[in-house]
Amino acid sequence: MPAISPNASAPPVANDRGTPLPLPAELREQVRRLERGHSAQPAGQAAKPLGLPAIDALLPDGGLLTSALHEVEAGPAPSGRVAAHDGAALGFTAFLMSRFSGGTLLWCRQRSGAFDAPPYAAALSVWFDPARLLMVTARREEDLFWAMEEGLRCPGIAAVLGETRAADPTAGRRLSLAAEKSGVPALLLRPQPGPAQSVCATRWRVASAPSRELGARWRVELRRNRFGTPSAAEIASWLVEWSDETHSLSLVPQALDGPAGADLERLAG
Amino acid sequence: MRLADARTLVPDLVTTSVEPQADRRLIETLASWCDRYTPWVAIDPLGSAIAEEGVEACSAGGFGGDAGLLLDVTGCGHLFGKDEAGERALLADLVERLAKHDFTCRAAMADTAGAAWALARYAEKQADLFCPRNGQRAALAALPVDGLRLDKPILETFLKLGLRRIGDLYPLPRAPLARRFGDLPLTRLDQALGALDEPIEPRRPPPAFRTRLAFAEPIGRPEDIAAATSRLLAALCTQFEQASVGARKLEIALYRVDGSVDRTSIGTSRPNRDNPKLMKLFEEKLGELDPGFGVELMILAAPEVESWSGAQDALPETGATTHPLGEDGTIDLADRLALRLGAENVVRLAPRDSHLPERVQVTAPVSQPVPEGAWARLASMKGARPTRLLQRPEPVDVLALLPDDPPRQFQWRRHAHKVVKVEGPERLADEWWRPRPNGRVMPANIIPPVRDYYRVEDDDGGRFWLFRDGSHNAAKWFLHGFCA
Repeated sequence: MPAISPNASAPPVANDRGTPLPLPAELREQVRRLERGHSAQPAGQAAKPLGLPAIDALLPDGGLLTSALHEVEAGPAPSGRVAAHDGAALGFTAFLMSRFSGGTLLWCRQRSGAFDAPPYAAALSVWFDPARLLMVTARREEDLFWAMEEGLRCPGIAAVLGETRAADPTAGRRLSLAAEKSGVPALLLRPQPGPAQSVCATRWRVASAPSRELGARWRVELRRNRFGTPSAAEIASWLVEWSDETHSLSLVPQALDGPAGADLERLAG
Repeated sequence: MRLADARTLVPDLVTTSVEPQADRRLIETLASWCDRYTPWVAIDPLGSAIAEEGVEACSAGGFGGDAGLLLDVTGCGHLFGKDEAGERALLADLVERLAKHDFTCRAAMADTAGAAWALARYAEKQADLFCPRNGQRAALAALPVDGLRLDKPILETFLKLGLRRIGDLYPLPRAPLARRFGDLPLTRLDQALGALDEPIEPRRPPPAFRTRLAFAEPIGRPEDIAAATSRLLAALCTQFEQASVGARKLEIALYRVDGSVDRTSIGTSRPNRDNPKLMKLFEEKLGELDPGFGVELMILAAPEVESWSGAQDALPETGATTHPLGEDGTIDLADRLALRLGAENVVRLAPRDSHLPERVQVTAPVSQPVPEGAWARLASMKGARPTRLLQRPEPVDVLALLPDDPPRQFQWRRHAHKVVKVEGPERLADEWWRPRPNGRVMPANIIPPVRDYYRVEDDDGGRFWLFRDGSHNAAKWFLHGFCA
């Protein structure tokens, strides 16, 4: 009678010398799916590409996962000072939201008294039609997270964005789970760098960078990339620019980056 | 008689101070309690004297005589029995229930409010309190003229003339009566006899649709209340379906055993008669209701309905020019959010044809469709705009070579920003054709009528939207937005 050991059918993961063998591709895919825990998501539709090959190559499935939580925080200015405003991070978030087409975009925010600066739809219209927006203003953080969760459960919602300073790990975990369950992406926009949360699939730090002709040029850092490919650099960082003419985001060549680059441009122009 | 004199006469006299407001509250509570019989409940308008101090009570005089409730129970008697028997049973039920709450009341029923008013106050026999159909002329004939709800001077003159009973007025010629006493006595007489219509003005507008559920034993557990709400809702949705309407607002009222009433309501942003969806909205609110010592009756009413064919969950029209919120659960989501956060906090952004930046973006209710692509058309006509617009432009200190030059440096919230790139100016003038409130002093933070906008970038890469007050020679600068 043959004895069936639990390891009999498992592929050998290590040879005699103890060096790991490469796993078969489908098994690796399976492990990734288990890790991600969004098996309900049909393969191939799980991610929306950003349209920038350099960034998409690092992201899982070649794009932004739909069933996950993504964080965008406004980074410090190039000089290291705290950024004066999060206009650039807001623009990048709006660009990310525009990737999720078809359906209502739920935008949850908290009002900040007399100095309130709400998003301005006339500017957002370059990324998506503001007619798709459903704006929610919450008084308390609990209400904001509750509204976001409710939105994530609704099938007609394309993406949910929450603007908050609060970094509540429990709320982040709940949002992440709700996004995994429904396949609706959740985004968090922070006006300042907040404490790192482990639950988000990607975390971006966006700061405005000196531009050529007052265009939207941003320094984008991918500070966390949970299911994606690790980049060569410690923190993947790109200088990107939004073009109203081509209606797309493009990488700024590194040679033109920085003050020296600006001089080069002036020489070229 | 003064209180001191009264105390001398009756040494153990019990006195309490007059509390008209408390009386008013009590009568309001009683009126709410009476909603169980009919939605048409009014507080006797002649009893208003109890609410305002120093107002002389009318004919009957004093509290108890002039405080009263008027109920229009037309069509309500059938809940208690057939025809007249039902109406008699309703009246008996009302008196009996009020007696349980230690209220002594005299209730009369007649075809007209005037006749019932007179009977309740001046009928001598208990049997007279119910006036059979079209019997008010006979029933009132024997009552004193005080039953006509007239002012004291008129009544005194009547008495001097020997007109003691209402019946004495019947044979009198009308014209001389009107000439001597004015229209009032004849109006009151006609109203009491039914020749003149006298509608009862209900305290709250009676809903077109309502269902009620009475319990043999008072209930109090939240799940029981939820189950009862569900049953009421099912009945109401059937009514909606027959009438081809959908609810915009629903109100549930709990009638507690101690005679008080607790209410809560839900609103929807489009007509709705979907039982599970409405129930889901109610589940949010039922927790707020306090059943007290128990609930003996629940009434679900729809104060606001809209005609609605019920063509829901249809495929969205292709090539539609407007962008309505989808039928795919989005509008229900908006309702749920609005219920907890307030309807003004769940909105859509609609464009307005204006070139003043702060006037372009208006909030629109969720149910209002926003034209598709209107934003993009609007944005394409204007210069580059900031991603965030300050609700109030903030004053900044600006350094410029000449007053009309673009800024070289500006200071905002104690931070100096050195300007390295400038785009502008874009001059925006006031919309002079727009009417504005006359004679109002402009507040200090008002935006100046003519503005020159600049998009600037500081040495740290931050992009800002500044403007200069173009209406004065004094260069005043403001920060109005943050660019991407």
